[in-house]
Amino acid sequence: MADIKIENLNYSYPETGKKALNGINLTIPQGQFVLIVGGSGSGKSTLIRSIAGLVPDFYGGTCSGKVEIDNVEIDKIERRKLVQKVGMVFQDPESQLVMTDAEQEIAFGLENLELPNNIMKRRIMEVTSALSLSGYKTSFIPELSGGQKQKVALASVLAMQPDILLLDEPTSQLDPIAGEEILTMVRRLNEENGITIILTEQKLERCFHFADRIIAMDKGEIIKDCTDVSNIANWAVRENKPFIPPLSKLFANINYPKIPVTVKEGREFLKNEFFLEEIESQEINTYENKEVHDDLPEGRPIIDIENLWFTYPNGSEILKNIDLKIKLNTFTVIMGENGSGKTTLLKNLNCLLKPARGHIRILGQDTKIITVEELSSMVAYLSQDPNDYLFLPTVREEVNFTLNNLGLKDDGIVDEILSKLGIEKFANSNPRDLSTGERQRVALASVLVTKPRLLLLDEPTRGLDYQLKENLGEILLNLRDEGTTILMIAHDVEFAAEYSDDIILMDDGGIVEKGSKYELLSNSTFYSPQISRLFHNYRRNIVTLKQGEEVLTMLKKA
Amino acid sequence: MIPLYREKDNLIYKLHPFTIAFFIFAIFFLSLIFTHPVYLLSLLAVVFILIVDSGNFKEWKGYLKIAIPLVLIIIIINALFVRVGSTVIYSGPRLPFIGKVRITLEALAYGAGMGVRLMTIISIFCFYTYTVQPDRFMKLFSRFGNKTVFIVTLSIRLFPLMISDYRRIMEVQRCRGVKIDSGGFRNRIKNTFPIVSVLLLSSLERSFQQAESMYARGYGSGKRTVYNRELWRIRDYMIITMTVIAIIAGVASYIKGFGTYSYYPVLTHFDISEFNLLYIVITALIFPAILDWGWKKWPILKLKI
Repeated sequence: MADIKIENLNYSYPETGKKALNGINLTIPQGQFVLIVGGSGSGKSTLIRSIAGLVPDFYGGTCSGKVEIDNVEIDKIERRKLVQKVGMVFQDPESQLVMTDAEQEIAFGLENLELPNNIMKRRIMEVTSALSLSGYKTSFIPELSGGQKQKVALASVLAMQPDILLLDEPTSQLDPIAGEEILTMVRRLNEENGITIILTEQKLERCFHFADRIIAMDKGEIIKDCTDVSNIANWAVRENKPFIPPLSKLFANINYPKIPVTVKEGREFLKNEFFLEEIESQEINTYENKEVHDDLPEGRPIIDIENLWFTYPNGSEILKNIDLKIKLNTFTVIMGENGSGKTTLLKNLNCLLKPARGHIRILGQDTKIITVEELSSMVAYLSQDPNDYLFLPTVREEVNFTLNNLGLKDDGIVDEILSKLGIEKFANSNPRDLSTGERQRVALASVLVTKPRLLLLDEPTRGLDYQLKENLGEILLNLRDEGTTILMIAHDVEFAAEYSDDIILMDDGGIVEKGSKYELLSNSTFYSPQISRLFHNYRRNIVTLKQGEEVLTMLKKA
Repeated sequence: MIPLYREKDNLIYKLHPFTIAFFIFAIFFLSLIFTHPVYLLSLLAVVFILIVDSGNFKEWKGYLKIAIPLVLIIIIINALFVRVGSTVIYSGPRLPFIGKVRITLEALAYGAGMGVRLMTIISIFCFYTYTVQPDRFMKLFSRFGNKTVFIVTLSIRLFPLMISDYRRIMEVQRCRGVKIDSGGFRNRIKNTFPIVSVLLLSSLERSFQQAESMYARGYGSGKRTVYNRELWRIRDYMIITMTVIAIIAGVASYIKGFGTYSYYPVLTHFDISEFNLLYIVITALIFPAILDWGWKKWPILKLKI
C-alpha cells in the first residue's frame, strides 16, 4: 500500500524566482485514479514530478514542505526503493527511451535494480504480453510509431512494478487513436491491478470518465479538487479555464444550469429538456444531395494541382493522382490517418519535394522550375516542432534571420508581426526560454515575416491546450482575412470545425473528399466535432460553437 | 552503426554474438600472422565465401570502391620505395625523393601480398558491419565496462534520431531561405550553421529529458546487472570448435614456418606440403558457410542444431 501525502509543498525551479508550486496540500489513497488538469504552465507537471522525487532531487531548486509515501518522507526513502514504488511516464515518447530495442528498454530499469536474469525475463514476459508488445520486442526503437514507443515507455516503468504510476500528458504527442489505446491500458492497470494513477492532461474530456477524482491547477496552486465531473465542469466554464471541451462550453455560454461533459449526456439534455425531435435520417440524405453545389473557383486559384503523383526513391508511392484547386483567402484543413500522404502533399507544395508526375502551380508558377528558397517568400511553412526553427539568442534576431536570408529589409514588419502574434514583449528574450505556445508563435512569426500568400502548417495544434489553440485559431483567421491562404494538417477535428472553411479528407495517398466543413463534418461518425455529434439527427449542418449557441438560445426562448 | 544492420534469413544471423565475434577475431588474427601469399589469398577466399553466403555481396561491392585503390596504392608505394629485391624488372630515371627508380619483382610481390592482407581485413570488417548487431555485440563486454557499453548503446539509438532531426531541420531552414545546395564551399559551410545549431540545442534539451527518464528508472542508484537474452545452440558450439581448430592449425603452421614466406631477397618456390595445415584452416573456417548450406538444404538441421 502506498498512500501519498503532500503537506504545504512550495517549490521553485533554479534560477527563476517564480514559484512553480505554491502551498500544495494533497492526500491520495492507494488505488485512486487522479486526473490533474490545467493549462500549460499551471504546475501540474511539477506536482507529479515532486511525487516521483524528481523535484527537487533531479532539478535542484528550492523546496519547502514535505511529500510522504506511506508516512515516510520521500527524501528519506532510498532511491532504489522509491523507483519501485513510483513510476513515471513522460510526455514525449522519443526522448524517454534510451536503448535500441523494446526488450532492452524494458530491461533497463530492471538492470538498474540489480535484479537477476531470471526475474528480469519473467517481468519482461509479463509486461510485454499485458501491453501486447510481444510482436515488436526486438524491433529497433527509432522504427516504431509514436504510440508503440509510448507503450514501450509505459512497459519499461511497469516492469519495475510500481504501486503508483505517474503520467505526464502521455497522449499529447500521439494521434487520437494511439492516445486512446494508451489511456485504455492505464485504466485497466488501475481497475485490475489497483495501481494508483496520477495523470495530467490539458483536456478534461480525454479521460475524466475513468478518473475517481479530478484536480484542477493554475499558477502552481490546486484551485479545485472534487470527484464529480459536472461539478468541476460547471465551475471551470464559469471561471473560463482552458481545459474545458467545446461541448461544455456551449452549455455554459448560454448560461444553462447543467453542464454536460459527454456527447451522450448532452444529447439527453437536448431530448428531455429542449424537447428536440429526431429528423428521419433519410430526409437528411436527400437534403444533403441537393445541397451539393459546384464550387468553381472565383478567379485564379492559389494552388492548382493537376494529376499529381509522388513516389519516394525507395519505391513507396505516397501520392496518387491528386487533383486539387484551392481558392485564394481560404482556410483549408487536411485530415486523414498517419501515412495517408498529408505531409508529403504539403512538402510538394513548398517545393521540398518535386512532383514525380503532374503539375503544381502556386499562383500560376509551376513548382518544377523553382527552388524552395525562391518560393519561400511566397509560401511559408510551419512544421510540427517549433524548436526546429529556434537557434538565435533573441526573438527579434530569429525573425530577422528569415528576412536577411531572402535579402529583404525590415521596414517595421518585424514589430508588426510580433505585435500581431502577441509576442512583442518577448522581442529581446531567448526563444528557447519561452513556453511551447510562445515558441510556436515565434516560429510562426519567423515564417510570416515575408508576408507570404500561402501558409502551410503541419499539425500546429499538437500538444496545445484549449486556450493556446483558441489563440492560434484567432491568429490564423486574422491572417486569412488579411489575404493569406491557409492550408493545414490536423488530427484535431474540433479545431478544424471551429476555424476552417474547407476540409480535405485524405486516405492512402488520394483525396477521398473535399468540401465545406458544414457538409463534411456534420455527416460523419468519427470525423465530426462534438457539437455536430450533439446535434446529429436533431439539426443539420451544425458545426461551430456559435451555431450551436444560436440554436440553443432560440430553443431556450421558445 | 545499426542503420546498416538488417537481419537476413540465414544461419549467420542466427548465431550467438560471441560465436560470430570469435569467428571474426580468428580471421583477423590469422590474417595478421600469415605472410604467405597462398595462405592470405585463402583467407580472403574464405571471407568472400562467407560474405556471399550471408547475402552481403552487394554491400561488399561498395567496400571495394575504397579497398581496391588502397591496395593499389600500397603496391605502388612498396614497389617504388623498397629496393631490397634482386630481380629488377624495370629500371628508370632518377626522381626527386625516391632516387633512381628500380622496381623489383620481389617488392611488387610483397606489395601484392600485403594488399591481399589489407583486402581481407577490410572485407572482414564489412562482414562485421553487416552481420553483427552492435548492441548485442557490445553487451558481450558489458561485464567489463558497463558505462562505456551504455554510452555506445545510447549513441546507436540516437544516431538515426539525429539524422532524421537533421533532415527535418534542414527542410525547415530551407523554407526560411537558407541556401544549402548553392554557393561556394565556404558559403555552404556557413549556411549549415543554423541547422547544426538547432540540432545541438534540440539534442541538449532531449538529453536532459532522457537523463530525467533514466533517473526516474533508478539509473545510477548503485550496481547494475546485465540482462542477457542470448541463447547458446549446438550450432554455436560447432562453429566455435571449428574456429578453435582453425586457430590451432594456423598457429601451428606459423610456428613451423609454413604460413610465413620470405619475399626478399629472391622469391622462393613453395612446396605443396606446406599447405597441409592450410587445408585444415580453410575447411574449419568455411564451416559456417557449409553449415548454412546444409541448413537450407535439409530443414531437419534447423530443428536439430
